[in-house]
Amino acid sequence: MNFAHLFLSTLPETVLEVAALLVLVVDLGFLRKTELKTRTSMATLIGVLGCVASLWAQIWVSGSKGVVEYGIDGTHDVLLFNLRWAGAAQAGILVLTAFTLLLLTRTAFTRHAGEYVAVVLMSATGGLLVSSAQDLLIIFIGLELLSLGLYILTAFAKKSGNSAEAALKYYLFGGMSAAFLLFGFSYLYGLSGSTNLDQIADAISKSGVIAASPLLYIALVSIAAGLGFKVAAVPFHLWAPDAYEGAPAPAAAFIASVSKVASFALLITITTAVLSPKWSLILVVLSTASMLVGNLAALAQVSVRRLLAYSAIAHAGYMLLGLAYLRVDGTVSWWDGAKAFGSANALLYYILTYGITTVGAFGVIGVVERTTGSDRMDAFLGLHKRNPLLAAVLLVLFLSLAGIPPLVGFWAKFNLFAAVLGVSAGVVPFALVALAVGMSAVSLYYYLQVLKRAYVMPPTDETPIRVDPVTMLVLLLIGASVVLLGCFPSVLQNWIAGFYPVL
Amino acid sequence: MQEALQFTPQVAPSSIANILWLVPAVPMAAAGVIALLKQPRRRLAASLAIGSLGISLLVALAAFGHVLAGWMSGHAVRETVNFTWLQFASSNVDLGWVLDPLSAVMLVMVTFVGLLIFIYSTGYMAHDENFTRFFCFLSLFAGAMLGVVIANSLLLLFMCWELVGLTSYLLIGFWYQKPSAAAAAKKAFLTTRIGDIFFLLGIVWLFAQTGTLLFYNNGAGSMEPSALGGLLATPAAIGLSAATAIALLIFAGAAGKSGQMPLHVWLPDAMEGPTPVSALIHAATMVAAGVYLVARVFPLMQVGAPATGTTTALTVVTWVGASTAVFAALIAVAQNDIKRILAYSTVSQLGYMMAGLAMGGVAVGMFHLITHAFFKALLFMGAGSVIHGCHEEQDIRKMGGLQTDMRITFATYGIGMLALSGFPLLFSGFWSKDGILEAASHWSVAKAPFYMLVFGALLTAFYMTRQMSYVFFGKWRGHGHAHESPRVMTIPLAILAFFAIALGVIGTPAWPWFRSFLTDKPAEIGWVGFNEPGLVALMLTSTLVVFVGLGLGWILYGNRSPKADEADVLEKAMPPIWRVLHERLYVDELYGVTVIAFYAWWAKVADWLDRRVWGGMVSAITGLFELLAKFNRFFDTNWVDGTFDKGCEELSAGGGLVARVQSGRVQTYLRLLALAVVVLAAILIWSSPR
Repeated sequence: MNFAHLFLSTLPETVLEVAALLVLVVDLGFLRKTELKTRTSMATLIGVLGCVASLWAQIWVSGSKGVVEYGIDGTHDVLLFNLRWAGAAQAGILVLTAFTLLLLTRTAFTRHAGEYVAVVLMSATGGLLVSSAQDLLIIFIGLELLSLGLYILTAFAKKSGNSAEAALKYYLFGGMSAAFLLFGFSYLYGLSGSTNLDQIADAISKSGVIAASPLLYIALVSIAAGLGFKVAAVPFHLWAPDAYEGAPAPAAAFIASVSKVASFALLITITTAVLSPKWSLILVVLSTASMLVGNLAALAQVSVRRLLAYSAIAHAGYMLLGLAYLRVDGTVSWWDGAKAFGSANALLYYILTYGITTVGAFGVIGVVERTTGSDRMDAFLGLHKRNPLLAAVLLVLFLSLAGIPPLVGFWAKFNLFAAVLGVSAGVVPFALVALAVGMSAVSLYYYLQVLKRAYVMPPTDETPIRVDPVTMLVLLLIGASVVLLGCFPSVLQNWIAGFYPVL
Repeated sequence: MQEALQFTPQVAPSSIANILWLVPAVPMAAAGVIALLKQPRRRLAASLAIGSLGISLLVALAAFGHVLAGWMSGHAVRETVNFTWLQFASSNVDLGWVLDPLSAVMLVMVTFVGLLIFIYSTGYMAHDENFTRFFCFLSLFAGAMLGVVIANSLLLLFMCWELVGLTSYLLIGFWYQKPSAAAAAKKAFLTTRIGDIFFLLGIVWLFAQTGTLLFYNNGAGSMEPSALGGLLATPAAIGLSAATAIALLIFAGAAGKSGQMPLHVWLPDAMEGPTPVSALIHAATMVAAGVYLVARVFPLMQVGAPATGTTTALTVVTWVGASTAVFAALIAVAQNDIKRILAYSTVSQLGYMMAGLAMGGVAVGMFHLITHAFFKALLFMGAGSVIHGCHEEQDIRKMGGLQTDMRITFATYGIGMLALSGFPLLFSGFWSKDGILEAASHWSVAKAPFYMLVFGALLTAFYMTRQMSYVFFGKWRGHGHAHESPRVMTIPLAILAFFAIALGVIGTPAWPWFRSFLTDKPAEIGWVGFNEPGLVALMLTSTLVVFVGLGLGWILYGNRSPKADEADVLEKAMPPIWRVLHERLYVDELYGVTVIAFYAWWAKVADWLDRRVWGGMVSAITGLFELLAKFNRFFDTNWVDGTFDKGCEELSAGGGLVARVQSGRVQTYLRLLALAVVVLAAILIWSSPR
């Protein structure tokens, strides 16, 4: 391994870290006396510029120096792999981070704008690492970097008891999950003698003893617990509703989008290494439970944030289904992504579009919350009279989440389910897809509950809601992209497929 | 007879083909902007609509010029621009647009006639309070229709097709306060939908068979030989090949839009819409979309035809077209509403086009489509002018003598009427109809369609003479005083009247330019075209038929000026037949007692099932859940809460944060986590083979 090479490959992460430090220096060093508004704007600006620079570095890296190899005595040992789904996920993470930062303007939950932005950027760095990591140790370090940032962000509204409570729950739950994950990793290492995913996969596939060993099952289950926590899959979802409800809106948007994208990219990486009927079985169990619990529990919510939390659980269920039937066979492999829109690409399509939609949804909720002081459904009464544009964005985003064509959420579901059936056409995947489609229909009910209040039910208060122009612009941008990407579904598909190296 | 289309393969699309998407996009964008305008911005709305269609016309003309230049230099242009719209698994769904003679001709016609009708509408709708909405819908319609025209993909065509259907619905029901208009809109939407379902089935089937919905794609399109060969070789059911079956399904969609029997019932009712709408949508363009679709998929219809024979699909199209032509013409004889007569006439002429397409090939049918678009738009706009001048009166019995009061309208309407009747030599309608009759006379399967179409021509001349006599001759029988319409309405009439005459030139046997242009065969200029055996005799026959029709009409109705409530001459002569025709052959009533009655019954059954069976199941499940919930609550209050409260009391002493974390719950979470891991591991180990 060449350290210069390593440095070049991790250039996006480095750029993001530098930006984070720069935010701190500027905010704490130069802007101490200025008012909060300026400081927030400045911090946001630097953060967004950092994301843009990092994105530029990322595009450059995925174009040339995609693979970092570490070879002692000629063994093939990949540390980072910035291509394939990792490339698309990293680009997605950077875009989503920039959007969540832009939502920060005009929020007043904290006086520490600089620290907030810095923590977001550091957490995003963890996300980038997690997406591209190919080694258990790097995966774990990346995950911790990502997660610790999230705990802090959840607790960032220091005056709010809810925020602190949510953060503590999140932290305790996360700590235990990390313990499980590490436990599972240690078993994997013990079984295969390597921390490298490629070699672990080799060891499992070559040795029938390892593949049938109960120790491997324990390892798989523990890993599933650790990662199931990250993506909020039932039964590891218990933290999610509290965290979504208690965290400040921009932080919640970050948790719901960036962290999800990184975790799913990691799940794809791990799945390609340890894919076996057993791993599929675990994923199917988690997926089914998440689809059922997420959708049914969402029906009963009155808080829109909790509703989004349960809907996130449901969406994780759909995505886990795609993961359970990931196509990694030799004939149409993930290398061949430009030709075949494989299930990994379908999954990325789903998580990226879901991420952008959720960021927008939290943006709208944040605005409504700031005006009405509540995230109850009734706070949305008459929204289309109070701010028609905001209501229109909400309409587009929620219908997209429900999967109504021609919005992008429809294509996400369609691609994913088609990919599942394309990999395996048996009775079980068919039944699971049928369940997923049925549950999507159920989900329409609770999304419409909110939209009904925004559009149909008589308003209790008709005073207009004023929205900060930057926030409105971001929300309009998100709404427009949800519509346009839905009208031209192949744009995003080709973009994702473009990250596959041409052989 | 049916000329094979010869097109040189495409190298790269020209720049004009690359920007062809502007033609539909500009009016659509204009529609979007107009939709955002406030009611009083009438001028802006109208200028946006007219301006955008003007731009489309310019682009369309440039495209036409490009195709024409290619034709002059000896090769037919067919340029396509395709792109992948979405991909799943290993299949791509491609969209694209095509520039070839067929689409170029149609583009120019639609934009030109559309533009004239837009201008006319500013006069006709001047006093309507929903003026801006009207132009929003019109623009949207124009965009969608142009989308249908340029589509190189059956899917894109279908999308625009549905948009066209939607705008048709919106415009028929434009005066939705009138119950009859609302009902007519609904009827149009539902009836065309029946055809569309079959159309969609055809599309899906075609995609399943060929894996592409593009028409032309350098040899890989669905209308190109390799795909067609495969379709022909695939058997479907009852001895039909997949090609025939798909062609018939697509034709069902075309029949719905183009008002062919038995789906024609919506078109006469659609006259409830404003008259410019009737002219634009229900005479010149939208209803022609079905014919255009058949012309587009003609290779599919024709594939497998023997050298002098025809195919099953084309035979079906012929019979449907010919019978529609006669039946609608018969009904038109006994109608009294000026627009309804024209509507049935439109249905009848669409039948001619379909029959012409099926028997004579693309050029024959399309030529009639183009000439008909001009003179039928002219007639409808003339009718609108008459209605306008007679204070919104539509009953021809309450008009009369308008030749003196509305001179321009009279002159132009007369030209349109003669063109429609097929008055020899001078008028375009004669040449286009003659082409169809000629094709019919050579048809190898049966002679009956020829006689049917000749009879239809007789009826056409007859009912148009009847209408002219009622409206323009005799004495004024209405209320008030009729007046000529404003310039903005009469000038478009004059322009259309010019084309109703002039267009014939491009399709005479002496200079069959149109046929040559569409089929890439060199045109033989000169009188040799008339040397074809039987042609002159045929022309004489059709001339004779037209004169008989005109003469009969004039003898029975000319200058008689019956009173408004007097029974029709034919009604006096043969009351039962008149009655049947006047009641439109009872088709609506037939549907009422069959299809609609069945639907009503089925709706009742479904309602009963909903209420009793499904509803019962739902309430059973609800009850079960309620029971569970009650049990849960009991469990909660008596057991969980007890310990929980106790725990709270103990911990609240500790106070601070810990108490606020709703003591115990995080621990419960963590316990559940651990439990889940154990259960999952148990599942895995239990499920593994021993």
